[in-house]
Amino acid sequence: MNAIILSALCGVVMMFSGILLKNKSAIKYVAIAALLVLIIGNLFQFYGIYTIDIDSKGLLSFDRTGLFFNTIIFVATLAYFILSGSDIERAGPDVAEYFALIFFVLCGVTILTSFNGLLMFFIGIEILSIPLYILTGSDKKNLKSNEASLKYFLMGSFSTGILLMGITLIYGATGSFGLQSTTIKSAVTGFSSAGILAPVGLVLLFISMCFKVSAAPFHFWAPDVYDGAPSVFTSFMATIVKAAGFFAFIKLFAAKSEDFGPGPAWKLILFVIIVATLFIGNITAVFQQSVKRMLAYSSIAQAGFMLFALYSTNDFTKDGILLYTAAYSFATIGIFSILTKMEDYSLDGFNGLSKSQPVLAFTNTVFFLSLSGIPLTAGFFAKYYMLASAIKGGGSLSLVIIAVLFAAVSVYYYFKVIQAMYFKEGVAATNTPITGNFKVALIVLAAIIVILGIYPTALLGFYYF
Amino acid sequence: MAITHIIFWFLTALALVSALMVLLSKNPVYSVLWLIAVFFAISGHYILLNAQFLAIVNMIVYAGAIMVLFLFVIMLMNLDKETEPQKDIWMKVAGVISGGCLLIQLVRLAKDAPEMVNKTALLKTGSIGLIENLGKVLFSDYVVPFEISSVLFLSAMVGAVVIGKK
Amino acid sequence: MNNLVFLVPLFPLIGFLINGLGRKSLAKQAIGAIGSASILASFVVSIILFLQVKSSGAIIANYFNFIDVASLKIPFAFQIDQLSSLFLLIITGIGFLIHLYSTAYMTDEEAPHYARYFAYLNLFVFSMLLLVMGGNYVIMFIGWEGVGLCSYLLIGFWFKNDAYNYAAKKAFIMNRIGDLGFLLAVFWLINKLGTVTYGEVFANIGKLSHQDITIITALLFVGAMGKSAQLPLYTWLPDAMAGPTPVSALIHAATMVTAGIYMVSRSNLLYTLAPATQGFIAIIGLATALFAATIALKQNDIKKVLAYSTVSQLGYMFLGLGVGAYTGAVFHVMTHAFFKALLFLGAGSVIHAMHHEQDIRKMGGLKKYLPITNITFLLGCLAIAGVPPFSGFFSKDEILAAAYEKNPILYFLGVAGALMTTFYMFRLYAMTFLGKFRGTHEQEHHLHESPSAMTIPLTVLAILAVVGGFIGIPEVFAKDSHWLESFLAPVFAGSKALTEQKVSSHSTELMMMGVVTGLVLVTIAITWNKFSKYEATTTEETGLGKVLENKWYIDELYNAIVVNPLDALAGFFKNVIEKSGIDGIVNGVGTFINYSSRQLRLIQSGQVGAYILMMVLSMLGILLLWINDSTIVHFLHKIF
Repeated sequence: MNAIILSALCGVVMMFSGILLKNKSAIKYVAIAALLVLIIGNLFQFYGIYTIDIDSKGLLSFDRTGLFFNTIIFVATLAYFILSGSDIERAGPDVAEYFALIFFVLCGVTILTSFNGLLMFFIGIEILSIPLYILTGSDKKNLKSNEASLKYFLMGSFSTGILLMGITLIYGATGSFGLQSTTIKSAVTGFSSAGILAPVGLVLLFISMCFKVSAAPFHFWAPDVYDGAPSVFTSFMATIVKAAGFFAFIKLFAAKSEDFGPGPAWKLILFVIIVATLFIGNITAVFQQSVKRMLAYSSIAQAGFMLFALYSTNDFTKDGILLYTAAYSFATIGIFSILTKMEDYSLDGFNGLSKSQPVLAFTNTVFFLSLSGIPLTAGFFAKYYMLASAIKGGGSLSLVIIAVLFAAVSVYYYFKVIQAMYFKEGVAATNTPITGNFKVALIVLAAIIVILGIYPTALLGFYYF
Repeated sequence: MAITHIIFWFLTALALVSALMVLLSKNPVYSVLWLIAVFFAISGHYILLNAQFLAIVNMIVYAGAIMVLFLFVIMLMNLDKETEPQKDIWMKVAGVISGGCLLIQLVRLAKDAPEMVNKTALLKTGSIGLIENLGKVLFSDYVVPFEISSVLFLSAMVGAVVIGKK
Repeated sequence: MNNLVFLVPLFPLIGFLINGLGRKSLAKQAIGAIGSASILASFVVSIILFLQVKSSGAIIANYFNFIDVASLKIPFAFQIDQLSSLFLLIITGIGFLIHLYSTAYMTDEEAPHYARYFAYLNLFVFSMLLLVMGGNYVIMFIGWEGVGLCSYLLIGFWFKNDAYNYAAKKAFIMNRIGDLGFLLAVFWLINKLGTVTYGEVFANIGKLSHQDITIITALLFVGAMGKSAQLPLYTWLPDAMAGPTPVSALIHAATMVTAGIYMVSRSNLLYTLAPATQGFIAIIGLATALFAATIALKQNDIKKVLAYSTVSQLGYMFLGLGVGAYTGAVFHVMTHAFFKALLFLGAGSVIHAMHHEQDIRKMGGLKKYLPITNITFLLGCLAIAGVPPFSGFFSKDEILAAAYEKNPILYFLGVAGALMTTFYMFRLYAMTFLGKFRGTHEQEHHLHESPSAMTIPLTVLAILAVVGGFIGIPEVFAKDSHWLESFLAPVFAGSKALTEQKVSSHSTELMMMGVVTGLVLVTIAITWNKFSKYEATTTEETGLGKVLENKWYIDELYNAIVVNPLDALAGFFKNVIEKSGIDGIVNGVGTFINYSSRQLRLIQSGQVGAYILMMVLSMLGILLLWINDSTIVHFLHKIF
């Protein structure tokens, strides 16, 4: 509860800071301070020190996993603010409002990590989505940004419609917003005579969540929106929001993990979706010339890996999704923060970066290595946990093999950037001077990724102790 | 057949026909008007279900406020035949076919649903839709989502300001 | 006193590091001093440990967990008991003498190479010490691989010569074939018992089925075949003579090649419980002994003769192990280390004097030029031939007596081998030291006795070769006189309890000794007489002689049946499979991905209508998939 209330309050504070403060960087520091308050407040609840206690009549429930996930998200946002804060300042005139919207998104995230029923789930999803439509279109003079915003809004509404339809069917059949195990059970066993409306509702829920996390074949919005939105907000959308979406997805469908077990229908559907996501994400990324667009596809590909957490729900899954969130978010935030500094977003724009900005090139390499899952980076263990959970779940070796093959494909396009930075001649130009603080922040982020890659339990240790 | 049944079928037919007309009308202004008709029909359904508050809110907010807004926007945009974008005919055909298939599929599922057999909506019974009861539930059991919705509206407002500001 | 244990391998390691790292800057004298002193220090500690073991039994020193994965814990531990302390003395003692000898023998090398030589040699001693000191099979395996590596490095010490490199490679590969067996045996042990520590393995031996024991022992023996040059993996040892002669003496005669014997005696309990493997070992050992002896009869290279003789003597040791005479085998390891190191060093002295001439047909009459070498070499020959009371007599007799108890046929074949040994050794001696000098005048002019750094080790080893046998005087002569047997008794107690003692009467044993000794002396007389008047002839050998001269054509056979087919197969894979198959697939995958990437990109048309159409179709697909899942799963199962 701490995080929900504090994040909403922080949003309001940011709105007023826009009126009271005329200095843009002052707003940034207010935002960072507010975020620190948020982190501390959340930790207070995590360690049981102090909790704002409001009786939600069983609509919200807080568990350690959710609170810990909040912490990861907040820390990732902190990294995002520190690295990309100055880019938010440059994104448009309404800096304070952007920060406010980001805090509202965080409020949605905290609801999604603690919902206990479809009603709060829906509210969480909406609070998460609406600010994003606006952030996507924040670059008002850019036609691409406007187009992306409108596309995102249209298709987002479409998926929200599906989501609502699913919730309606479930509510109609069971008379409750809760996810009873019988509902899921009948959905798992597929077409059965016991009841059909609730299972169909669950399938619709599933489809709309696939849309939210940009799993193929519901991913079409993602490349256009990620490409069209201002890079600094793409970074936020592709990492923090997406991870939160996944967490909600898993929380929703693993709510009764013992029932959401190895149902043939779900396994089949998930199998198809995972393979399609990996295929489309990885293969399409290969041919992209713009690094930004390549990252959009790469985020689809990474979603394929995160879907493994749904495919089999066991001990590995929870650790895996936490680790994956951290690994993926940190690396992508780092990459985008560098990307937004670049004059030219195409691959050629990175040519020779290692000469002009060695620190940027090096940390960028670490981030890309982590994304492709090379050992000694956090991405390796993240992928490992996901695949291990699938193997532990049993009977899905073929899926794991496919995933590993596509991971190999991903190395190809990630390394194209590394190749451009180190082995191609050119003058990679940045659009703003690179400050020392920025470099230090990048190095710290890269160090975290490497530490997590050597010692992943450093992160999970917080969770268990 | 009781009078409520007759009204139900009439409203249903009205809603479906109006919804189709929304799509088929060439003139966007007509589309909006047909949409208002849809909302009225739905509101009628709400009344049949003894949910007067919902019916009134639906009419005031959607049919009244939002649709009027839509009309203004459309008039201000000054659309006519020349500026109407040309759509690919194949896309239309494909859309109709695939949408139709999905519809058939869902209808088929709903038709077979055992919980739907021999059951119709409870008409004129129940009191949850009355303002008093709704208010009580909203401010006791559902007070947390009710309050949290304010964050949603707040963010929408902020968004409107961001987009609307010069 | 436990804290002394680690010093034994530490000194050579330090020596290796100093010589290895400082090879560009150290002076030759310093290099030699460091190399030898480190081994001497080890030797001193070994003596202390030996005395301690003698008085108070085995020492086990645990240091840290080398491997700690789940339930498997492999400690880094040393075990110093009677068996390993004896080996420690042999390794460090003879090792020191050979280091000392090397300081003079290698003096022609430039300082960096000189340092490299001593670094390798120290590293070898370090590895060998690990091998015998390790408290479990894994530590032993580290040493096992380490000595293999050092052997490779030292055989190819003169790496500018292609043939030497080839010999080094051959030794390494042959050894690796055997090591695979060793490794599999260790895996098998871990799988079945979950431990590799000697004490625990032998304590839990009851948990192993009979079949397991047979497989483990057989696999371990495959390792021993490679390391100890037994049939069919022996061919590397004669080629290993490419290395410097002291290396041959240390590695390829005294220590490394006896690792197999050490390992089998270490695991004696396992072997005693696997009679099938034991029989196999006995047969392989005897066959190797005879086979190598026949080859040695016709060799003309002084080192090759000694090399085949080593293979043959190792065969005897395995014969001993195979018939359960563990003490006898270890005893023979020790005496063999004395006299074979002596013979090799003597040969080195000769080669040194002859300016790297190794063909005995071009020698002769060296007696007057190399007096000390001559006498010590003769003593070595007498010892290896088994003339009483030289050391070889006692150890060989013990093995042969045990073989007789097992099966008289083994005994008679063994005696035949012993006579061949006598023949080729005295042929070697006579052709080298007796008669007239057959080399060039220039060589004759330069003939000289070796410096004292070389003759002192020769003398010491000669004394040991003469008197070394007295620690194991058979029961026949005096009761309880076999000191070695009582010393090693704790190590072999388990095996002894399992086998019934079959003692032939003392009179039989005495008679056998008498007959064998008589035959040996007759052979010596005949050989002496024949080869002291040897004249170089140009006639080509024919028949069996030619086959023997060409070592039974074993190398050619291996080339024909193993190497050439492998070459051909590799060529096929490289030229056909890889070019058209693998490359095609790899490039094809790349092309395919590029192509599909270009096509898939087009789906992303940018039109919301198209996207939503796509999504509706996908929804339809998922619903259908969900409804008809059982049909689809059934269908998929039918296909796959």
